[in-house]
Amino acid sequence: MGWMDAKSKKMRYIKIIFFAGLMLISASLFAHVGSPGVIYQGKAGPYSIVVNINPPDVIPGTTSISVYIDNQQVNHVYLQPVYWYAGDKGSPKSDEALPVNGTPGQYQGIVWLMQSGVASMRITVDGPLGKGSAIIPVMAVSTAQRTMPASLDWGLGALGILLAVLMITIIGASVTDGIAAPGPGSKPSARKKYIAMAVTALILFGILFGGSAWWNSWSSNYRKFLYKAPLAHTRILMGANGMVLQLNIDSAWLRKNNESMSYIVPDHGKLMHLFLVKEKTDDVFAHMHPTRKDSVNYQVALPDIPAGRYLVFGDIVQWNGFTETISDTLTIPAKPAVQNVPGTNNSLYHDPDDTYVVSNAINDNKNPFTGKTTLVCGKPGIEMKLADGSSATWQHTANTSFEANKIYPLTFAIRDPLGQPAKLQPYMGMMGHAVILKHDGSVYVHLHPVGTYSMASQEIIQNRINGNGKAPLLPNPKLFIDSIDRLISSIRAMSEDERNAYLTAGMKGMAMPAMDGMVTFPYAFPSPGNYRIWIQMKRDGKILNSAFDAVVE
Amino acid sequence: MDGTIHINQAVKAEPKQKTAKIEYAIQPYVYASVFSSLCIIVGLIWDISWHTSIGRDGLLAPPHDVIYLGAIFAGSFSAYQILRTTFFGSPMEKQSSVRFWGVFYGPLGAMFCVWGAIAMLTSAPFDDWWHNTYGLDVVILSPPHTLLALGMMMIQFGAMIAVLSSLHAAKSDNGVMHKWLFAIASGLLLTSFYTLFSEYLNKSRSHSALCYQVGAILFPLFLIAVVRASKMRWAATATTGVYMFMLCMMLWILPLFHATPRLGPVLNHFDHYQPFHFPLLLVIPALAIDIIFFKLENKKPFVKVLLASLLFLYLFFVVQWFFGGFLQTSPDARNWFFGSSSWYFGANPDWEYRYSFHPDRTDTGLDLITGMLIASVIAVATGFAGYIWGGWMQKVKR
Repeated sequence: MGWMDAKSKKMRYIKIIFFAGLMLISASLFAHVGSPGVIYQGKAGPYSIVVNINPPDVIPGTTSISVYIDNQQVNHVYLQPVYWYAGDKGSPKSDEALPVNGTPGQYQGIVWLMQSGVASMRITVDGPLGKGSAIIPVMAVSTAQRTMPASLDWGLGALGILLAVLMITIIGASVTDGIAAPGPGSKPSARKKYIAMAVTALILFGILFGGSAWWNSWSSNYRKFLYKAPLAHTRILMGANGMVLQLNIDSAWLRKNNESMSYIVPDHGKLMHLFLVKEKTDDVFAHMHPTRKDSVNYQVALPDIPAGRYLVFGDIVQWNGFTETISDTLTIPAKPAVQNVPGTNNSLYHDPDDTYVVSNAINDNKNPFTGKTTLVCGKPGIEMKLADGSSATWQHTANTSFEANKIYPLTFAIRDPLGQPAKLQPYMGMMGHAVILKHDGSVYVHLHPVGTYSMASQEIIQNRINGNGKAPLLPNPKLFIDSIDRLISSIRAMSEDERNAYLTAGMKGMAMPAMDGMVTFPYAFPSPGNYRIWIQMKRDGKILNSAFDAVVE
Repeated sequence: MDGTIHINQAVKAEPKQKTAKIEYAIQPYVYASVFSSLCIIVGLIWDISWHTSIGRDGLLAPPHDVIYLGAIFAGSFSAYQILRTTFFGSPMEKQSSVRFWGVFYGPLGAMFCVWGAIAMLTSAPFDDWWHNTYGLDVVILSPPHTLLALGMMMIQFGAMIAVLSSLHAAKSDNGVMHKWLFAIASGLLLTSFYTLFSEYLNKSRSHSALCYQVGAILFPLFLIAVVRASKMRWAATATTGVYMFMLCMMLWILPLFHATPRLGPVLNHFDHYQPFHFPLLLVIPALAIDIIFFKLENKKPFVKVLLASLLFLYLFFVVQWFFGGFLQTSPDARNWFFGSSSWYFGANPDWEYRYSFHPDRTDTGLDLITGMLIASVIAVATGFAGYIWGGWMQKVKR
């Protein structure tokens, strides 16, 4: 284990570099697509809790938080924002979440999020077992562009006209009637009055014109700081060894938005989790982990998937815990004559956790493809067969739909080919990974049994809280990239057991479900519609993919 | 009471008198508008302190309630005055009022107050929509806040006009109450002006020419107008005295109450209200304006305005340069009396310029001289504008 010790020291050193020197980079990063809610399932000290956080779509704004306590009477539940920039000491006094009438164990509260960027919620539960708390990362970004409702528009317009007319009247009166001696004899000059009123009208017009320009500039400034995912271009490179997917993050866009891609950190041991889903049919799904060629270019060997147009989602985490999803579309051409040859010296082929699966299209019950990686999508309550002979059942009443915005424990029971609960192994340190996509592509989320937040982000914030409280400094980008690349290479070079041990150790303190053949993903579908869900687990050293369809009303 | 006509009540005329002596009692709306002006200032400064200390507020946060109370008070009393005169007023009352829109009769001051109240109430739904669209309060000046500020100041100005028309209608010099009401109304509006521009007038700016240029825009304009309009001998001194009294009271009272930051990030921790600023020592230069207008009463306006504006500016500069320096840098100012240690919860308490002058905000040598020359030109120009404004206020009769 000597080399492990050396590696541990090296990794610790690298970790120290980017955890001790953290700082705020920019205010406009955000994970997932169309699914802003954050769900946490895990521990707050001795208490098992599920938390649903609805971040505001305009910052500064208020966040509504629901906390569900599992089978335990508690005295108080407190909510407190912890800002990455200000650290633990910079948190305001906590607010108490109040019990929800008629729903035992549920507590509800509101927290103000004042700064864009990486924040987190500390949920503290105070009960008979003492106090326990959990830290849940929240990305605070503005995403909403609202227009004024017609009723308010008309109402304010009418009041504005009233104010303008009244002011013109007052000024007209001020230079005539207002300074005339009381009594019947005074006859103020009408001409003077009208001149004063005309001048006032002109001035008011100027003020309203200036005010309108001010408002427009305000609105334009707000739009400028709205969250925008980095612009990326994906394309297929036809190499000597086959097709390679290249994802290029637009440098001009980064410069324009004052953002940097030099400070990406690994999540589950990977710099980027790249997902491909075949557009409109959702029948092809691939989960890959590209290699960084430079700060803005990522490449990965394309697996043997059918030609067509694909949706591309790339999840990354910045070193201060910002998480975001880069998206694009990509057309994959038909297979070239020269095929990939796995095992060549091309380092692109070395990630052992890349996988893909082909299933039936969303409007078709049959899967026309053949091969070990194909299957027919399952539905809630009905057992489905997986590639290795095992089976998966979504533990939800058959032929029933889901309600939007309600938290469900999406539980999947896995049985081995003998019908016994399957003995599952960690896949990238977790008991399962899931991707949920709405058929129209408007919702995409990558989640785990602990919830929808990034665990790397959580670890970064926890380290910030545990640190010395001083505002961190940004390191040299080249040194940072080199240190992270070395870390990724060393993780890739580990054996499966070593890698799992390393990744699991990095998540200590987080709830890991028992390996009893069941995997649960807590999630609340954000809107009604049809969804496809891909579940990824590991059994007997092989990645097990399954897919399910759900109807949400 | 023989030969007296009470315009606000039933009109009585003594037929035996050849000419009736008219005495106007102060109408309720006049008191109401001055009280509203007071509510607005108390609420405004409390609100600033609230945002500095607590941060989190809502539409009906206590300081907002006090401000809205001012709007409702001024608006309802003034609207009542207009409606009462319109529908139940005697012919003489109507002839002593401003007729507008062919139907209504009311005093000018009440019209300003109604305008201010409508503007303030309009700003509430506008501001609510603004928060939902562009985020909760992080800046003072936004379009809805500007509308609110205009409404507040219009009510305060309406209070001054209400007192003036009442004073001018009273004819007799019974007006100790009138004079003080005018000084109070003027002092409250002056406090609003200072508050609105305090970013440029506070202690940390007292060694920059910009501070005195902004002061030159505001103070000669307002104080010379007040001196000309008021019948009080020491009008400018009294007005600035009211301004100083208001700010001192808020400075000394608010920190007595518990307050902790309710928004993050919190960089400065405390357990009581962080007060607003110690006032500018305006009474000293204001005294000069009063003396010049009194001693040189028969001189040409040009001479009076020129001397008053410049003397005010230079005295303001000398006094505030040293006093501002004391407030900004001296440990002796970091106490309840001067309140110099007051600090926003979101600001770093160890900031190197917390108790010293930032180089970017400090002018010396030629920059200072040039800046003060510009301020002198501004002061004279606004002084004349104030003289004209005061001349108009002198003539307000309805």
